[in-house]
Amino acid sequence: MSVLVLGAGGFLGLNTVDALLEHGVQPTCGRRKRSNVLGLRQRKVPLVVADLEQQQTLLEAMRGFSTVVHLAGHYPRLSTQPELSLQVAQRQTRHVLDAAAEAGVERLIYVSSTATVAARADRPSDERDLYARTPGFGAYHDLKWAMEQQVAAEKRLRPVILCPGACVGPFDWKAGTSAVLWALKGGQCPPHPDGVVSWVDARDVGLAIARLVKSSLAPARLLLAAQSLGFHQFIEATAARYGVAEVAPALSAEAAIALADCEERRVEVEGGRPRISRELADLIVHGPRVDGSHARALLGFEYRSLPEALGAFDAWAQRLGVGLSTRTEVDAR
Amino acid sequence: MTIPDAKWESRMMELIAEVSVMKVSQIKPEHRLREDLGMDSVCSLELISMLAEEFGLDISVEEAAGVNTVSGAIAMARKHIEAA
Repeated sequence: MSVLVLGAGGFLGLNTVDALLEHGVQPTCGRRKRSNVLGLRQRKVPLVVADLEQQQTLLEAMRGFSTVVHLAGHYPRLSTQPELSLQVAQRQTRHVLDAAAEAGVERLIYVSSTATVAARADRPSDERDLYARTPGFGAYHDLKWAMEQQVAAEKRLRPVILCPGACVGPFDWKAGTSAVLWALKGGQCPPHPDGVVSWVDARDVGLAIARLVKSSLAPARLLLAAQSLGFHQFIEATAARYGVAEVAPALSAEAAIALADCEERRVEVEGGRPRISRELADLIVHGPRVDGSHARALLGFEYRSLPEALGAFDAWAQRLGVGLSTRTEVDAR
Repeated sequence: MTIPDAKWESRMMELIAEVSVMKVSQIKPEHRLREDLGMDSVCSLELISMLAEEFGLDISVEEAAGVNTVSGAIAMARKHIEAA
């Protein structure tokens, strides 16, 4: 079995590589010329240059592989340049699809997001629920939707689309979802709206991918979420774990989005990190309740609990010995 | 492995300039990677990774995350080179 993982050195990438190794599969890991491969070197997995901006490197990297796991979908830190973000996302996705088709890849496992999952009033959302058109909430939702549309329309491969919720666990180098956790660990309650968060242990995302790789299953789309709960409730539970003395009340949706926009404009000039990102505000405000039971039944695993996920995050943070500080990332880096 | 200090530090400064907002001539050993050179945690880990790749060093993520200054990065790299 030959598996190439794109985005292997990142948050979900390392969790996926670990799960594959535990399942007896040694993946080859795509890397950019400039990327952090320290974690991959420690795991002693083979590396190959695969830059999403350079289609020829993708083609050369993919030759001979039957399965490609694509975890490297464009992820802009800020939502301030939506048109540019969308262009980058669609261009890179086209490069991956064209290279995979030309290289003769049989199966593409693409990791999308529950940002593409449309909310239902009558029941939790499941695999059937996808926005019929671009959500229009903000840059993150729109580009995730656009990329998933590109992959779903692909006829030359057998794409499997996974949509994980907010991932909690080790190796979140970019402090995406874990920005909230780092703030709480530091004794600060970040400003936040209320809404719904559907979270999943990042190790379970890796596990689901490994089970898919090992099987001949080819579902078109699977949602991965352990639980959906109110975001303020999530904050309260996590704040209690980290001993945060005072939990800030939830902002209204409008106030949270306005604050996020203001913060993102500020950090574009000053650097640093927004106290709340537009992506996070949109995800919470528009977050659907997600039913992740189909993936659990199909792939035969049980979702880990929130304390287990937070415990893994804490253990990783302790090993690092420092908090992650982040600055604005340039969109097309 | 023996690499002359001048060559080693020169290449080190070039790598730092690649991932920071500074030119090679502006980078000083006492500069802090994040506060002075504008790197975030991702950039600083990328830097150490590039260094490890360039010189074939076996550096752990935990050790890399503890590097805060240019001089700290040089010292860490030197330690690994001398141990190799």
